[in-house]
Order: sequence, then structure tokens, then C-alpha cells
Amino acid sequence: MSARPLEGLRVLDFTHVLAGTFVTRILGDMGADIVKVNSADRAVGANDVSSPFYVMWNRNKRALALDMKHPQARALCERLIDQADVVIDNFAVGVLDRWGVGYEPARKRNPRVIYVQMSGMGERGPWSGFVTYAPTIHALCGLTHLTGVPGREDIGVGYSYNDHQAGLHGALVVLAALECRDSTGRGQRVDLSQFEVGVNFLGPSLLDLFGNGRAARPSGNVLPYDTAVPHDVYPCKPKDAGIAGERWLAIACMTDAHWRALRRAMGDPDWARDPAFDSANGRAEARVRIDARIADWTRDRDVVATMNLLQAAGVPAGVVQDGIDLNEHDPQLRHARFLTPVDDPDPQLGPMWVDRLPLHFEKTPCEVYRRVRRVGEDNVSVLHDWLGMSEAEVRAQEADGPLR
Amino acid sequence: MGGGPLLGTRIVDLTDERGIFGAKLLGDLGADVVRPEPPGGDPLRRRGPHLHGDGASLWYAFFATSRRFLTTDLGRDADRARLQQLVERADVLLTCPGAFAIDHVDVVAARRANPRLVHVDVSSFGDDGPWRDFQAPDLVAGALGGCVGTTGAPDTTPLKTFGELNFMVSGIYAAIAALAGRRYARASGEGQRVSVPVHECLVTCLEHVLMFYWYGESMRRGKVLPRQGGTHWSMAYTVMPAQNGAIMVTPAPQIDAQLTWLVEEDAHGDLLDEKYADPANAPLLIARMMQLMREWVAKQDAEELFYRAQARHSPYGWVQPIERLADNPQLATREWWSTLDVGGRELRAPGAPFEFSETPCAPRDSTHLSAEVMLSELGWENPR
Repeated sequence: MSARPLEGLRVLDFTHVLAGTFVTRILGDMGADIVKVNSADRAVGANDVSSPFYVMWNRNKRALALDMKHPQARALCERLIDQADVVIDNFAVGVLDRWGVGYEPARKRNPRVIYVQMSGMGERGPWSGFVTYAPTIHALCGLTHLTGVPGREDIGVGYSYNDHQAGLHGALVVLAALECRDSTGRGQRVDLSQFEVGVNFLGPSLLDLFGNGRAARPSGNVLPYDTAVPHDVYPCKPKDAGIAGERWLAIACMTDAHWRALRRAMGDPDWARDPAFDSANGRAEARVRIDARIADWTRDRDVVATMNLLQAAGVPAGVVQDGIDLNEHDPQLRHARFLTPVDDPDPQLGPMWVDRLPLHFEKTPCEVYRRVRRVGEDNVSVLHDWLGMSEAEVRAQEADGPLR
Repeated sequence: MGGGPLLGTRIVDLTDERGIFGAKLLGDLGADVVRPEPPGGDPLRRRGPHLHGDGASLWYAFFATSRRFLTTDLGRDADRARLQQLVERADVLLTCPGAFAIDHVDVVAARRANPRLVHVDVSSFGDDGPWRDFQAPDLVAGALGGCVGTTGAPDTTPLKTFGELNFMVSGIYAAIAALAGRRYARASGEGQRVSVPVHECLVTCLEHVLMFYWYGESMRRGKVLPRQGGTHWSMAYTVMPAQNGAIMVTPAPQIDAQLTWLVEEDAHGDLLDEKYADPANAPLLIARMMQLMREWVAKQDAEELFYRAQARHSPYGWVQPIERLADNPQLATREWWSTLDVGGRELRAPGAPFEFSETPCAPRDSTHLSAEVMLSELGWENPR
């Protein structure tokens, strides 16, 4: 098998829940040696290695059990930091400092270390002690207020978008700091605020606020600043009763050519021949009427067949897919074998699945997907590879030491 | 050029909406990112909002920070030759199929001339497969990617996320691909092409959607969770109306602490009933607690309740309208905002969402790069 792009990179992983664990999932998929620190005491809730949530974000990592409350834990942790290229600290601000292994002591021991502190609010500022999860960040950064329909502020993004993005930002800053270290020889600390990651997504609207004094408001599926009509989701023939059985088709006419293609695909109905509809502005004035007519056309149609018809006609259209669609029907994901079982089934939990790394490297393909490891399962191999410890030494510290 | 960890990294940016956020991030991190544009201006300069109605594109001002724009007339041999030279001298080439000038660059020849070149191509669906030629602007990409289906309330349609969130995922993945490819090129001397399908990128960021399909039964939940507005899949976080706004409230991570608070506020109803003490009834407890919290929250001021909750280490989040970010004390104390020159006006603008201790960086004003400067910088001769 050919090398993966980050092989040889050593990452000491103090992460939990989603955002931080996604950083190390991405780096691990690309071949980095991720040593995930957990302990028997902490392996509950989102850190429970058999919980589906943990399984989702912790493949391709080696598991080291380290009880940081044990008096010998700090010394062992310091030796690991000496060997690390990267430390990811995703615990509350100050936790690793209290353990004596925060950035300042780490840097003194290992000036080449890249230390990423990713907290909800960043390590300075009056909100730095605030407790945040993705729904908290979505609310505070404006995404909840703006993702919705006019007049409501209780909808927001239906999944933890910002956690994933904070993870992606974490992977990016690790790689940028490594690039810098290759020229300077020195590591550094990166303070990554998940709140700032979220606020940044509203960039154009913030410039609109500061430049024009205009505060953005939710606009449903209508683009807030550009004129594109039709641009919405339309009901198709349901597959079942209730909300779970609904079928929706997204149609987005970004140009007049898209509109003309849609009109033809619908059979050139009389209502659509109105010359006022030849321009996007004309269509925008009749948006409600046009949307209703298109919904009349889609309502009894099969959603997949209609998507295929429209795409073949040159109209951007897509099924509003759910987990069943992605896993069972999406021919593109199937073609890429994108959703697949891990290489090695879990001895207790059985087969596990992965969504693969979506980066297709021509020369260094990332095609290794190893199952989630139990707490401490890799104590021997990690401490041998990183610190040259013998199995007997490791077993002794497992029995009566911090390795638990 | 300013500072930043990527100072000295040379990037040519031939992206459209699908990859432009990645090029921006690499530029904001200090890379020298050259973005060619036609003499009539980049088509993305038409994206709204605009300054004063029809002025400079604020969309573009945000997504095209930290660049050097190179006017390139594809009808002129000299310009095309310059573009080719530029790519051949780059560390990273970022492209999207159909974006400006990409069809006039001979990438094969460029890689032959520069074997260390990393070429990252962001496309809607990748290089092959049955949907390869499907068109997928943000709404369609989000629909097919599973994002739209899990956003929205039971009494609304499925909803697109606000702004450009879908392409910001593929954009940042492209930036990661560029730097991972660059690292391998440094070690091995070999560049490569990296294909980044938007569709796959989005599917990796759906949190519970794949988890429910794969493991929902073991969690005593179904394979698919229909859209449920501001309520998180765990049912333990939801958005509630309050006085003067709305607030995201949760009894997590310490249900007992929330219960204590409700008792202090005399808003606990029947929650002390012994049936709720049975751990097996935790879902019942959470559901009842949420019900009582809704009545309690409705009487509170959203902003005040947020601060009171955080003082008790409860991860509530006030649903801030965008204008409240302008005077946000956290952003102000961290001196987060930057300034950009937009259409001759200095505007407050988002800063960088990462702070490097040794190589600080922030979004910079873009400049125009003349052909002469470009050639002299690189020690090239003007192509005939």
C-alpha cells in the first residue's frame, strides 16, 4: 500500500465529544499516528467507546489509557509531549494547565510542538469560561437566528454544523503550523475559538451590516441577496404517511437558461409562457405564484425520476435526501464506495461503518479505516513506539500506575 | 504580503463558489494567493450583498480577501502564456471545473514542469460516477448532501442553511487537501492531484444522520430522524421563545443542576415525583423538564437568562440577531474584528478565527497584480 500524506506525524489527542475528535479523525484518516488519551474513569457518556457517537468520530486512532489524577501521570504525559508533533487540547480552558501539561510547560520541553487549543470561546475574553456545545455556538453566532423562515427564531441548523467546521478548522491550522515549522524549526500555539469559527460564516452579512446598516433576517430557501427564481424545495409523491414519508425536490434556477430548460421539461405550460418570466426580476415578482405552479407539477411525481428528468434537461435539481437515501439509493456514493464497513469489525459491537475521507489523493490514497479502540487497548504499542517502553513496564503501570 | 504561518507559499486560485472559501483561508493564513480574473472583472463580483445597493460586492470582499488579482485576457497569447507560467511556478493550484481560465491552463504540462505541484480540484460530484455532470448550486448540493433534509421545522419545508455554509465545507476541505498534499510533496518531492467532491464533503458533516441510520436501532431510535426545528437529535437541547428574543436551553450536561435551578425558581412542577428518580425514566424526565422549562423560559429575558445560565455553567445560548455581534464583548476583548477597504471605504470585517502565537495573521486587503510586477518578482521574461 502506498503511503498516506501524513504518515509519521505524531498527534497527542486530548479531545472529547465532536469538534476536537473530528480534527484527529481527519488527520488520522490521512495517516497521522493519533494517540487518543482516555481513561476508565472518563469513558462515560460521549467518551464511552462503545457509544455510537464515539464510534462515529474515533476511528483510525490508537487508544492510550492515562488517568491524569494519578501522581505519575504527569511525568509520563511530559515524555509523550516530548515526542509529539502536535497536541490537540479540546478540554475546557485551563484543564491541561491544571494537569501541568499546558502550552507553556509543553513548549519549554519541546519547542517544535504545535499546540492547538480549541475551546468554545477562545482562551481569553470575558466569555472564555462559558460552556458551549454546537447548539450554543449556533445560537450565539447568529446561525440559529438566520437559518429559518421570516418571523421565527426557533429553527436554526438541524445538525451540529459548527462542530464539524471547528474540526475542519482545527485540521487546517495544524497543517498550516506544520508548514511554518518546516521553514522555521519552531512550533507554536494556536488558539481556535469555535465561536469565532461560527461568526465568520456570516461574513458577507456582517459586511452588509457594517457597510449598509442592514441586519440580515431569515429568508427560508430564498437567497437573501441574489435573485434566483424558482429556488426552493417542492413536494413530490410521498413514500409514506407523516413527515418521515414526505419527499421533496430542490430546484434552483440560477440563470434564465435554467428557467427556460425547466419550462421545457415541464412541457411548456401556458402559465410559464408569460413574457414577464423571461427575466429573473420578473420571476421574482411572481415568486409565490411560480412556486405554487411548480409544486402542482411536482406533487404527484416520483422525486428521483423528476430529478433525473430535470438534470438531463439542464436544470439544477436534487432530491432532499435522508439517511436511507444516502445509504441505500444514492448511486454516486455507491459508485465511490463512500459509506463502507470498517476494515476490522469490533469484537463486541460487530460491524461498524464509516463515511470516508472525501479527499481523493492520486498518489497517497487514504483507504485505511480501522475500528474504534477500547480504552487502553494500545498502551503497549503506543508506549513502545513513542517511548521505547517494554511490554513488562507497560503492564506494570497498568496494574499499579497511571495507565488505566 | 503580511505574516502568517503560510508566508511564502504560492497558490493560484481558479475556484468558483465551491472552493473559494479554501483559497480565502489559505490567503488569510499568509499564503500568496494569485487569483486571475477577466478584464471585465470576476463573475463572482456580481454576488450580493453590494455596498450601497449597486456598489462593490460585499460577498466578494469577504471571500476574496488576501489575494492578488491578476487581470488575464484569455484572448491574448501573452496573457495565456503568463497564466501557464504562473501555474508552473506555484506550490498549489486550486481549481473548480468550469471556473474562469481553467480550460486555458495545461495542467499536465504544468505538472511536468513542476513535479511538486499540488493540484486540488473541487467539483460537485468528483471525477466520475452517474451524477458527475449534475449541476448543484448550494441549495441542490445541500439537498443531495443530506443537510436540507435535517434542517427545518415540522411545520416548514426542509430548509437550506443561511448563506454559503455548504460550499464553506468543501472550501475548507480543499484547503486541508492542499496543505496535506504540500506536506507530502516536501517529504517526497512529488506533487499530486487531489479530487474533492462537494457531495462527499457534505455527507461527512451530518452529525447524527448517518449515526441514526447505522446504529439507530441500538439507540432505540429509528433509522431516520425527521426534521425537528431547533431541537437537537438528543432531545436535550432546544430553542425556546423568551422575552425579547429566543434562547437555546438544555438540562445537559448536569440534569441535577438544572433541576436544582428550577426548584430555586419554584418552576419545577412535579419533577420531584419519585417516578423521575428512576434512571430508566431519564427520557421521561428530560421531556417533562423541557415542558416546564418552556413555561419558565417564556417569562424570562433571553439575554439575561443566558448570562444567568452561563454563571451556573449551563451551556445555554442566546439566539443573537446578527446586529448584536457588533458590540459583542467577547469579540471586542479579543480584538477579533479586522478592517477591509471595500470600494474605497474602510469597513469593519470578520477577523481570522484562529490565533497563531508566533505568526499572527488576519484577512488582508487584496491588491491588483500587474503582469510586469508578477514577471519581475519571479524573475521571468515577458513571454512573446
